[in-house]
Amino acid sequence: MVHALNEIRGVLAPDGLLIDLRPLLDRWPVEVAWSDGYQEAGRATDLEEPRADDEAANVAMTHIAGTGGFARERQETFPVFYYWNTPKEMQEYIAENWDDVIRIDEPASTDLRSLWATANADARVRLRMKLLITRYRISQ
Amino acid sequence: MTVQIDPEGTESKYLHRYAEFERGTGRVLEVGCGDARLTWQYANAARQVTGIDLETDDLRVALIDRPANLAQRVSFARADAVHLPFKSGSFDLAVFAWSF
Repeated sequence: MVHALNEIRGVLAPDGLLIDLRPLLDRWPVEVAWSDGYQEAGRATDLEEPRADDEAANVAMTHIAGTGGFARERQETFPVFYYWNTPKEMQEYIAENWDDVIRIDEPASTDLRSLWATANADARVRLRMKLLITRYRISQ
Repeated sequence: MTVQIDPEGTESKYLHRYAEFERGTGRVLEVGCGDARLTWQYANAARQVTGIDLETDDLRVALIDRPANLAQRVSFARADAVHLPFKSGSFDLAVFAWSF
């Protein structure tokens, strides 16, 4: 990955910017949300391999901000929500797309279904994903 | 199965805040653009966008979804980030977008 970051530096203009935007595993909350509120049902379980990937990415980005020719300017985390109409749709999506990333264990899954079943008619289920955004500028 | 991703537009707000499009970061390279879900959130603010990815199926979706008014400004290529086929100084901004 450091090689890729060096390549990116090579195609940037002087004073060019690099934005690193990525999800961070952090036992993302599983919630039921309706028009004017929400309630957390539990947390997703992070799997090992993507956690290691997170660490490797952190190491690479630290490297480029150190000796790799970029200066880190600003960094924040923020939430991004994925919504589904039903708990079943959420589980199916996770099984199909993120089966090597996270899973929703019991009792979070049971609590989610119970909360959703008794919530307002407009209630949906959602995952509160944590994203990290960092801006680097080419250092002269 | 229907998923709705970031209807609040939070990711887009942060990206615009960090990208400084108003200061002339007009030529953008998006590394790992996938199906261009993120691309469409900022393409109108950029002068030129080049999205690269290794997944041909995703690139095909990106091309099909590309709005007609962005056809001259947004292009996609199958390329690896470790061998970028561009000249030095070609871009003002690189977006390294990761996903699971």
